[in-house]
Formats: sequence, structure tokens, C-alpha cells
Amino acid sequence: MVKPKYAIVGLGMVYGPYAEGVTARGAEAEAGRLAIADAGLKREDVDGALQLRRTAGGGERPAWADAFPRMLGLPFKFFFTVGRGGALAGLGIATAMGFLDLGIAKYVLIVGGVEDFKNSRRTKAQGQRGMVHSEKAGYWGKPFGDLRAPSHHSFLAARHMYEYGTTSRQLGAIAVQERAWACKNPKAKMYGRPMTIEDHQNSPFVVEPYHLFDICLVSDGAVAFVLTTADRAKDSPKKPVWVRGLGSGEVADELWWEKKNYTHMAVKTAKEQAFGQAGIELKDVDVAELYDCFTAEVLFQLEDYGWCKKGEGGPFVAEGHIGPGGDVPVNTSGGLLSAYHYGDLTCLSEAVMQLRGEAGERQVKGAEIALVTGHGGELISPGMCSIHTSLVLGA
Amino acid sequence: MSATEVAKGNVMTTYAKPLPNVDDDSRPQWEGFKQHKFLLFRCTKCGAWYWPKAFCRNHENAPMFADLEWTEASGKGKIFAFNIHHMAFHPGFQPDIPYVYALVELDEGPLFGTNIVGIDPHQITVGMPVEVAYDDITPEWTLPKFKPVAK
Repeated sequence: MVKPKYAIVGLGMVYGPYAEGVTARGAEAEAGRLAIADAGLKREDVDGALQLRRTAGGGERPAWADAFPRMLGLPFKFFFTVGRGGALAGLGIATAMGFLDLGIAKYVLIVGGVEDFKNSRRTKAQGQRGMVHSEKAGYWGKPFGDLRAPSHHSFLAARHMYEYGTTSRQLGAIAVQERAWACKNPKAKMYGRPMTIEDHQNSPFVVEPYHLFDICLVSDGAVAFVLTTADRAKDSPKKPVWVRGLGSGEVADELWWEKKNYTHMAVKTAKEQAFGQAGIELKDVDVAELYDCFTAEVLFQLEDYGWCKKGEGGPFVAEGHIGPGGDVPVNTSGGLLSAYHYGDLTCLSEAVMQLRGEAGERQVKGAEIALVTGHGGELISPGMCSIHTSLVLGA
Repeated sequence: MSATEVAKGNVMTTYAKPLPNVDDDSRPQWEGFKQHKFLLFRCTKCGAWYWPKAFCRNHENAPMFADLEWTEASGKGKIFAFNIHHMAFHPGFQPDIPYVYALVELDEGPLFGTNIVGIDPHQITVGMPVEVAYDDITPEWTLPKFKPVAK
């Protein structure tokens, strides 16, 4: 095991009604302020800032013309944007580590904000649906009506169904169990709105095989966290959350030739690296915060990490396991499916709360190791889930 | 994207859907579609086929994609995966609902994203043989859609 050198010492979230009436930039600045306060720091202590953005897979989203560190008034020595699709937290931490190692920064504020719900209202007023996702240079599928994430992500579910006999009801079991978690999270969009498997099956098809409830939410708001070094983390007022392992994988090289990446994510190398650094095995993971843009991505990761065998994810989730009271608590916030969509910052924020013991009614007792995954990325048309990041956090 | 005004004979019609998003890497292929030629990128040294455009995995192709060229391919393949769109994300697709977007495993090897036409979506199966069916959507643009191979 590598001795942890870095820790998350502050967390800030702007979500739900709290995010109304501000831009994503404003939400980023406010989440940053909250994270700095949570860390017991002052703005002048923060000497670097990173913005996390879905610059690729989520569509064409140029950076704001004005940036949150200016708005917040940080005396930052560096500021830039990182991210690839929904892989944000892991890439942000890896980047910040370099600046901490070099002594350029003592505390790095890492923030990601979105205004996707607001944007979806705007596109609806234009007679379109979902987030506009079609003007990327070289984007292949646009004239064929491949216009939104479900247009190509659903190939993954369709192919898994074909190869392994997985059913829509089994995918629905994931949505139902995540909803049960959301009903224990007062911050979640779907708090107080329980879902049955019949609700899932009766929800309309958007892109068959995906029903509406196989598809994640879009949100407004922001998540911010402060990363620092082990020696400084010891002085933190909140219990530090240690970065114990970080790994990455890519399936793009298998896309057109091997045709294998339609039923798995790029977990193999990411898991080996992250679990190796942390010196842990799968059974040591107390809470799994798995990137869940769609239900099948959760199923794939349950198989790829080894909670069940490849192809057996359907029966596995149908038995339970991942909801409240299950032996593999997955997406305890309600996830992107039922809580809020801040990319993998949804996963990271929940892991921090769980490891601090701040997760209220949904707290997994004695949670000491959390797995946070992210994925996404640009591909010409199908699949999309190219990068996979694996982050092991420890109490 | 705004609707595109198209002159068809003496009648101005409107093509209401988004047009292809073409760049310098893909332009030759789109020019081929316009002539109803199904071009893929091929290594002249070993005959390996690529799509989208790529360096050959078996050769260096220096400098700048040497020994690779756009080459007419069969335009035939099999359904690898497909989905059925029940909602139009763009109003231009509303009349087509439900429509099929599929990955076709071309006989040459690459996977190709396209619409499947000429069949009830729920009759489509993985492995079904399909072939290119050109759709001249405007005088400037032709879409390489696919249809089941006639028995």
C-alpha cells in the first residue's frame, strides 16, 4: 500500500433550489466558498483552482467567458479546465497532485458546475428535447438522428441484452434501488418519490431498449472540494478523506476492430492501478459510487469490478444487493439517475459524506473505503464511454 | 441547425433535419456518398480497412497517411446492435418516429453508424444482413442509410 499523500479536506455543494437564479459560474463560486469554509480555510489560503468540465462527451460547451475564481476572489496562482466527458474528479485530483508536489500550491480548489437543466428547458422551448449535443466538429451521427446520449449509449444495453439475455426489468432493478437511496437523501431531486419496477416498465421508451427511468437526470448547480497534502490535512477541522488510489483505462483502442467494448467499460487497468496503490481488494470497498449516466453502465461496472461474473449482472441486480440494506451499497446518494448530475462529482461528493459519516439516513455504517468512478469521452458515434477513472478514497 | 432551403425542380422545399457535420478527414467519404460510392479508408500495403479514417495498425504510413486511400467497399454488412428512437430530439425527426439507429458490422470489418430503413423496426434482429441504401436528401448531400438485403 502506498501511504496516502493527499486528502480532501473541504466539500461544498450547490444543488436543487439553491442553484436557481444563478449561472453555473455563480454556482461554482458559491460551491467553492462553501468548500473553503468547510475546510476551515480562508480564500487567501487557496493558491490554485481547477475547473472540471465535460468538455468532450457532453457536447459543445465552451468555457464561460468569465471564470469562477475571479468571481470568488481567489488569489490563485493557476487556473485552467480539465475533464473528459463525465471523468472529472479523478482527472482533477491527478492534475492537482502535480501542483501540490511541485510546491506551487498548498491548497487546490477543484470545482465543477453545470446548468444542464436550465439548458434543457431552453432547447425544449425551441422544439427540441434534451441537451443540444449535435454540433461537435466531425460528429458522425447527427444527420441520422443520433442527437443525444441515449442515441448511442443504448447500444451498450442492447448489445448486453443480445449477448447475455439481460432484460429491461433487470436494468430497471438498478433504477429502483438507486431511487430507494434517493428517498433517503433530502438533497436528491427524487427525494420523496419512490419508484417500483412497474413504474420503470411503464415509463415511456425514449430510445428503446431504454425507458425514461433508465436515463440520468440533468441538473443545475456545482460541487467543489479542496485537495491538500497529508501534512496540512492533519490540521483540518473535518476528518480528512484520503486519496488512496487512482487509476485510468481506455476502451477507444478496441472500438472498431475488436468490437469488445460494447459490454464492458475500461475498468481493468483503472482497477488494477487504483486498488494496487491502495492495497485493497474488492471486498474492502464499503460504498461504491459508480458513474451511472444510464442503468447499463452500472450493470457493466458491477461485472467489470468483479462483484459478479461477466454476463451475470442482470440476475445479480434483480436479487437486490445494491440498494439500502444490500451487501454492495451502490450510488447511495441516488446517483445521476435519481439525485443530481454533476458528472462524477456526484459520486465523489457522496463518497466524502459517507467516509466522514455525514450521510444521515443513508449512512453506510462503518464506511472506510469508497470507490468513485468516472467515465465518458468523445467517440465518433457509438459507445462513448471511452475513459474510465477509478478513485479509491479512504476515511 | 436551421432548416435548409433546397431547390428541387421548380419547387422550393425545406430539408428540416440537421445536415452532416463534415471535416477535412471525412470529406472524401461524403463526396463518395454523393456519387453513390461507399468508400472506406484502406491500407494499400496490407489491404486492411478502416473507418473512421485511421493510420494502419500494421504500418507506419509515413508521412501523413501514406499508402492509405479511400477505396470503394461492398456497402454490405450485418446488424451489430440497434435501437429504436421513440422520441424526436430534433423536430425534423418527428415524422420518422419510431426510427432505427444501428451499428452495422461491415463485411470489411469496421462498425458503421446508420439508419436502418425499409423494415418495421421491431422486425430487425442482430445479425440481419443489410446493404447500403442511398438517400439523396438534398442536391448536395446523400446519406448512406442501410436496408435489409432482399431475399
